[in-house]
Amino acid sequence: MPEDHDWEAYKVPPTRTPVSERTTSVPNPVNYFQTAFNYVFDAPVTFVREWIERLQNKNKFYYYHQKFRRVPDLSECLEGDYLCYYEAEAQWRRDRMVDQQIVEIVQERMAACRQREGPNQFQNCAKEMELLAQVTKAYQDRYGELGYHGNARTCLMKQKHRMMEERKAAQEKEQS
Amino acid sequence: MSRVLRAAAAWAVRRAGGAGTTGTTRVTGITITGITGIAPRLPGTLVPVRHSGDHGKRMFIIKATSFYDSRFLKLLRFYIFLTGIPVAVLLTYINVFIGEAELAEIPEGYVPEHWEYYKHPITRWIARYILDPPEKNYEKDMALIDVEARKTELRIMELEARRLMRHRGDGPWYHYETPDKNLVDNSMKSTPDN
Repeated sequence: MPEDHDWEAYKVPPTRTPVSERTTSVPNPVNYFQTAFNYVFDAPVTFVREWIERLQNKNKFYYYHQKFRRVPDLSECLEGDYLCYYEAEAQWRRDRMVDQQIVEIVQERMAACRQREGPNQFQNCAKEMELLAQVTKAYQDRYGELGYHGNARTCLMKQKHRMMEERKAAQEKEQS
Repeated sequence: MSRVLRAAAAWAVRRAGGAGTTGTTRVTGITITGITGIAPRLPGTLVPVRHSGDHGKRMFIIKATSFYDSRFLKLLRFYIFLTGIPVAVLLTYINVFIGEAELAEIPEGYVPEHWEYYKHPITRWIARYILDPPEKNYEKDMALIDVEARKTELRIMELEARRLMRHRGDGPWYHYETPDKNLVDNSMKSTPDN
């Protein structure tokens, strides 16, 4: 069964639906529909699910998130040390997957905020927008135009070029 | 269809003539359509026939054969359910009675086995009994890279040694055997008038 998100990780702000005051004596038909739905669908499904969970709780087993040790980076490898290259490459790919997931999560939060706020999204979602802008800029700087065949070496070369240009720009600013 | 044919028969009877018809007599569910009685009939009239009361006259409906189609569908259902039902029963049993794993923090000082990083019980089973652990795979790749790296190094060194020996001529390679100078017969050039 797909599990829910971790609600503790990102606290959704409380809903601000206004409390409506009764102006007529006619009862709200929505309540009847809600109780009907409850008895017809909700209660049996919950009962079956709880029965299954009671069965499964007798022998529980767990799964964990794998923690990988940090190995020397590509910039710390000696030239010609192909084993070091291989480990650094594997580590770089894992880090890239993690970064992709981070970007996806921030995008989801932005979309959730937008859906929640509706017409006042541009005012109330400023924090999420800012976070998304920062995260995508960082991702673009690091993994941006490497393409499909990007690997740790091309990423390192991109960083090298960026540092060279920064240094050149700093020198030009010093001269002028 | 048979009702249409029956209605057509009744209409033909009415058109042919009403001599001797007493209508339909319902006697214990038997209807008599057509002309009854012993009165003389016009030529081309129908013969009295008895039919049962529930469905009327039995008709031979002419339509295209459905033998091949129904045989195909029967065989299709049979072969799909032959493995489909056991697989469905197995999956239901696993998902209901065994269930998926729960996410937990790695306890202190405990190193989980390589299959304990997966959620679904079938994935865990495959990772445990069928596939190699990812550490073994990693080490196999590293061993291959190591062997190839050593081979590359040796090949480069061999090429360099060959180049140097050819260039300097002081090594054991690039020697071409020449005959001993004591074997050379100089009698042809020993006197000036040969």
